[in-house]
Amino acid sequence: MRDARKEYGHVRALQGASLTLHRGEILALVGDNGAGKSTLLKSLCGAVRLDSGLIEIDGQPVDLSSIETAKDLGIEAVYQDLSLAPDLTVADNVFLGREIVYQGIRGRLGMLDRPTMATESNEALQALGINLKSVSISVERLSGGQRQAVAIARAVRWATVAILLDEPTAALGTRQTRIVLDTIRNAAARGLGVLIISHDMPRMLELADRIIVLRHGRDVAQYRAGETSINQIVGAMLGETVQA
Amino acid sequence: MTVNESTIADETDEDEAPAQSRWAPWRANTALWVFLIDIVVILIFGALSPDHVFFNSQNLTNIALDSAAITLLAAGVAVLLGAGELDISIGANIILSSVIGGKVMFAAAGGSEENFGVFTDLPKGIALGVVTTLVCGALFGLVNGLIVTKMKVNSFITTLGTLGIGTGAALVITGGGNVQGIPFEFQEGYGINTWAGIPIPFIVSLVLIAIIWWLVNKTKFGIHGLAIGSSREAARRAGIKIERNVLVLFVMVGFVAGIAAVLDLARFTSTNVGGHETDALAAIAGAVIGGTALFGGKASITGAFFGSLLAVILLTGLVILGFPPYFQSITIGVVLIIAVFVRARSWALRNQT
Ligand SMILES: Nc1ncnc2c1ncn2[C@@H]1O[C@H](COP(=O)(O)OP(=O)(O)OP(=O)(O)O)[C@@H](O)[C@H]1O
Ligand SMILES: [Mg+2]
Repeated sequence: MRDARKEYGHVRALQGASLTLHRGEILALVGDNGAGKSTLLKSLCGAVRLDSGLIEIDGQPVDLSSIETAKDLGIEAVYQDLSLAPDLTVADNVFLGREIVYQGIRGRLGMLDRPTMATESNEALQALGINLKSVSISVERLSGGQRQAVAIARAVRWATVAILLDEPTAALGTRQTRIVLDTIRNAAARGLGVLIISHDMPRMLELADRIIVLRHGRDVAQYRAGETSINQIVGAMLGETVQA
Repeated sequence: MTVNESTIADETDEDEAPAQSRWAPWRANTALWVFLIDIVVILIFGALSPDHVFFNSQNLTNIALDSAAITLLAAGVAVLLGAGELDISIGANIILSSVIGGKVMFAAAGGSEENFGVFTDLPKGIALGVVTTLVCGALFGLVNGLIVTKMKVNSFITTLGTLGIGTGAALVITGGGNVQGIPFEFQEGYGINTWAGIPIPFIVSLVLIAIIWWLVNKTKFGIHGLAIGSSREAARRAGIKIERNVLVLFVMVGFVAGIAAVLDLARFTSTNVGGHETDALAAIAGAVIGGTALFGGKASITGAFFGSLLAVILLTGLVILGFPPYFQSITIGVVLIIAVFVRARSWALRNQT
């Protein structure tokens, strides 16, 4: 993504932000409240349209005009909440909007092939090391961490290029956060680019390969996780030490 | 990663602990409970009624015929509630559709004021009248759906509005009365006809309820509706066409009201403009008593069937025992509140652990 700009009325949420996300890499996006992190992520998953800027996948310019287009291109997003329908089962959620129907006449009537959906959901969860007793229980019966893990597993199941996560652990306790972070690591290990927004600096230093700092809608600094410190990052977030 | 897996396994145990008993799925099945309550109430009325007349086949046939419309309406409303929408205009829809359909049937069959009960073109008239009634019902639902999805008016307000408009329009058309003189042949052939002792309208309702059950539980369309009711945002992000789904649901409920309107004409050989004030209450109450979530996400069709059946059983039983029929709506109100209270409490208990 290069030189992304977005204004909401008079608010300049993004004023020339650029970043590159590689496959198999975990990139943490940090910044103060209102820095434009969520706006940037939404523009990458088709939820908001940039006023100007260029987004490329593998060097090809793409037009992410809607969530559906982004999905078709292999980009999936996970939100802090509201990603799953709590009353539906895990399997139905994993396949929500992309249900498998039977072949032939039953399929044309829209009849769901639940056995196949259950098997494939199970595989998707197992692949990320998530063990649920059953994929036919409703999501509201899962813990917060399990829910977020399911949401990520769904994203990974469908993504071919990247998954984008906006504060996926903000509402979670320590143990539940670990579940989610492990799931994210497994997702990157499968060759997806992972972009994660978080205010949890210590964890991001531990999890991410690279960290990018956004301030006033611009990318102001970039670090390799092993070569930086929390102080340095916070400094860049607040604009105390501006460096390339 | 091994550590990670065991962590998750722990959590699973913790979360599912309250539901581990083999009976848990049954205990949580509201439809089953309501079915059992139906049975108990039937047994009580049977025992209390003089000479056990409540059990006689004529009475059971009556209950079946009386419940044909309301069980179907409750099933339709349950699906709509499952998607987080409400329709309180179904009674008005029935009135308006039966009035328009009845007029068309009378005219197309060649009926006249002078020669009462004589029709020159019976089959065509009945067919045209039935089709008109059903189309009117579906159109009424379409209007509701369009107002809700395009004009973004809340569905309670929308259908409160069309409730008034529909009832008023029907009374304007008839000049305040009923459309009468529907062919007796239609009554004999459908309205009071039976098959193997079971009223045909009740069979029609059962078939349609089965189709609705299948739609909700087995199809993409059904799961999308529940997803919308469960979390509109999650559904939107999953790329579900929310407006289209909601619109189709309103049309479906409208069509179901059309079926009830046809039944009115066939049963009474006239419209019944005064008889539908409590239809919406009874249908919504039946659905909610049967386990459908008032704010979406869950729809139990079997529950709606047994829940709305309860209302009919109560009415019939109370009347046989010599109570005035008004007691029915009192009992339904009480049962509705108790049912919702009990469910909320069992939820709270479950979430405590
Ligand atoms: N839909 C919107 N309408 C108007 N202004 C918006 C909208 N969304 C975001 N903004 C504004 O754009 C700016 C950037 O917001 P954004 O949500 O991207 O920040 P953020 O970095 O994600 O912050 P936080 O850490 O608090 O989540 C803020 O000033 C915000 O008020
Ligand atoms: Mg944000």
